[in-house]
Amino acid sequence: MTHISDSRWLKSAAVVAYSLVILITTLAFYGLIGFDGAHLQVGLLTDPYILQILSFSLKQAGLSALLSVALALPVARALHFMPQLVAKKAFLSLCLLSFVMPTLVLITGLVSLMGRTGLITPILPNDWNLYGLNGILIAHIYLNTPLAIRVLSQQMAHIPDTSWRLARQLRFSRWQQFTHVEWPAIKPSLLMLLGFIFVLCFNSFAVVLALGGGPGSTTLEVAIYQALKYDFNLSEALTLAWLQFTLAGLIFALIARMGKLNWLSADTSSQRWQPVLGRRSQHLHRIFYYLSWGALLLPLLALLPTVSEAKLSNIDLPGLLQAAFFSLLLGFAAAILAMLLAWLLLIPIRRASLNRLENQRVVLQWLATHTLVAPAMVLSTGLYILLLPRIDLDHWGMCWLIFINSVLLLPFVIAQLKPRLLQFDLQYGRLSANLKLSISDHFSVIWPFIRSVTKGSFALALLLALGDVAVFSIFGNNTFATLPWLIYGYAGSYRMAEAALASLLLLAICALLVFIFERHQKTQTATSASDKMTRTPKND
Amino acid sequence: MGRFTFQTFKIRISNMLITAAALLFLSQTQAADKPELTVYTYDSFISEWGPGPQLQKAFEANCECSLKFIAVEDGVSILNRTRIEGKKTKADVLLGLDNALIETTRQLGLVQQHNTNLSGLSAHLNWSDKHFVPFDYGYFAFIYDSNKTPVPVTSLEELIQSDAQVIYQDPRTSTPGQGFMTWMKAVYGDNAPAQWQKLAGHTVTVTKGWWEAYSMFLEGGSDYVLSYTTSPAYHLIAEGKSQYKAALFKEGHIAQTEVAAISRYSDQPELANQFLSFLISPEAQKIIPVTNWMLPVIDHAELPEAFDQLIQPETIGFTPEQLASNRNQWLREWRQAASQ
Repeated sequence: MTHISDSRWLKSAAVVAYSLVILITTLAFYGLIGFDGAHLQVGLLTDPYILQILSFSLKQAGLSALLSVALALPVARALHFMPQLVAKKAFLSLCLLSFVMPTLVLITGLVSLMGRTGLITPILPNDWNLYGLNGILIAHIYLNTPLAIRVLSQQMAHIPDTSWRLARQLRFSRWQQFTHVEWPAIKPSLLMLLGFIFVLCFNSFAVVLALGGGPGSTTLEVAIYQALKYDFNLSEALTLAWLQFTLAGLIFALIARMGKLNWLSADTSSQRWQPVLGRRSQHLHRIFYYLSWGALLLPLLALLPTVSEAKLSNIDLPGLLQAAFFSLLLGFAAAILAMLLAWLLLIPIRRASLNRLENQRVVLQWLATHTLVAPAMVLSTGLYILLLPRIDLDHWGMCWLIFINSVLLLPFVIAQLKPRLLQFDLQYGRLSANLKLSISDHFSVIWPFIRSVTKGSFALALLLALGDVAVFSIFGNNTFATLPWLIYGYAGSYRMAEAALASLLLLAICALLVFIFERHQKTQTATSASDKMTRTPKND
Repeated sequence: MGRFTFQTFKIRISNMLITAAALLFLSQTQAADKPELTVYTYDSFISEWGPGPQLQKAFEANCECSLKFIAVEDGVSILNRTRIEGKKTKADVLLGLDNALIETTRQLGLVQQHNTNLSGLSAHLNWSDKHFVPFDYGYFAFIYDSNKTPVPVTSLEELIQSDAQVIYQDPRTSTPGQGFMTWMKAVYGDNAPAQWQKLAGHTVTVTKGWWEAYSMFLEGGSDYVLSYTTSPAYHLIAEGKSQYKAALFKEGHIAQTEVAAISRYSDQPELANQFLSFLISPEAQKIIPVTNWMLPVIDHAELPEAFDQLIQPETIGFTPEQLASNRNQWLREWRQAASQ
């Protein structure tokens, strides 16, 4: 059967895309090894301090993942069972905003909310301390529960009406309904989510550094940073990096094996038939819903008092706007590149999926999205060490900054684009192959189908790119200071109120993009409804 | 993916490289007619409110040259960058290393001797280093809010024994953090681990860098925060606030001296020497304290009054050689003791 990937030109482009993403990681590790003859130190793996870091990394990531998913489940059910809830759409947008929120902004918010003199600290227990495991978990839960809510509520929407009807005819109890109808529908996503959130938290950096509270709570990523930065101990960094890469990589491979995560996109099914809830149960669900509204909004509201201290006359408005402009510019460039790469990388994956070559699909998918598990610190530092003596980074740093950022965005963009493209292949792949369309005709056929998801993924990529500080701190250039960089700059020279204001501007830009993103998702739901007419009975 | 071959891929890559190289060549041929002095420094030094812009203007007025700053994140990044670049470095001058990095930089052979006249430096600095020239210094100190804490602690011992909430910086990632670690070793020697543990009992948090700690303190996150004796001068001059003060400790304080040196691979050592001399001239020494918020290295530098009110601590500490050889051992001791 012929497929879009049979086009020679696209085939070569896909190979180039794979080579690029593999090359970037290989070069980074080569950069570390090539300098000063760094080597793996196996002995380090038995060092009590390293073991402690390792067990803490695993513990906090495990807890973060479990708690995020456990908290998301009741809210997702409330969203599903009670279509009459107020401001549901706004809530889902807020969830997305929370997931992409720059950690710098979140941390400031959390500290003003429940730091030592936080707004709600007086009502917390006396021995409350935000710093340490508490703070790390709260921040991770804040960032990831919203993602889980969106994925799970969407998954619930996939439950066919017939199942609910059957459940009613069989007079299932609530519990039986949950175990027989809901659980089978959400189980694959639940496992996938656990794995995904685990990997994100396992590699967590900024949150752990800011809220860890001391050497007791250090993750591998932080330890790598310290080894690279202050000790310039490349062997130690390399060993820790491999340790992290292997562990996170194994977990991630399991995820890829387990299957499909249809995540941030609003999906195709619309609700037609709902089980009716009892009064008490309705109240309970409503409470879950409003509580999560509160939890997501509080850290943002807590930012406001600090900002009001800023003297408006002191504010360098042109500087702020310029930084916002550069942030958007770099974000746009990285997001466009990421979209292009993702699209090319997906070509062989789609083909493998269509031809039911499971193993090939898993390997390709792992390669395409492996930057989710590769320590970002190692990628950027390794490349820096490799390139610095060879290329004039003061001129070319920004290009590499965009490139590295786009590669780091790939896992997110691919997760977003993949389901829709696979859906297209299933529905129209055969047809368009039989028509022997040219590439340009093929594009004109596929475009209406993927337009909204493309715009949506683009917005997501842009949002995530806007928060970058880690890569900028290495490849960035002060002439093109971005907003997050400016925030660090302000705060580093005693200008806290300006820093808070810049944070708020960054947050506002993110909120605006989320708004745009959601609008496109809405149009997608509309088009999907018409797709349904031509849809094959089962497609995932 | 079948028939697409590695050969085609190689051709593609080489085409890309040729294009890149051509662009690179073009950008490098735009040479300036005046000699250019390239100075590596840290980011906050060249921010618009840092010393960089003013120093550049003052130096370029007399040197018949153009001064070019290249900024990296912090002092240790300057060292790492020159180390990675080796003899390909663009740096003529490394500006912003400190006494804890001096020995490593020297041992790696990254700098050359200067011929700057050091006789103008304050006598108490006792400076005679052949490679490095100091351009400012400061004492680490714990800052408190005198409205909240009318009677501050008067010694490190008292601070550790108290139950006052403290924020300090991670010695693995921050200069003040390293300074504090040195301070603990200078005062307590082998007894430091027990004191670290005691302090951990009332430490709010250990942050990655200076500003995280300091901003938390300003927002009321702790009673004391580790910073510099000069921090109160900032609040007085820039904000007109007088309640922030530095606590004077009986045991003495650790000093951080920031230094500049000429890169071993600089091809214009003369101009570089001229710049080092400029750094310790009255003109530059007037600019640095009120932009970098550190103390001048010459006597009688022209300073705002706020600097007269700063505490004048005794200096204790170690030589750069001692710092370089003991640092790793001290760090292990700290992370062991403070993580319990």
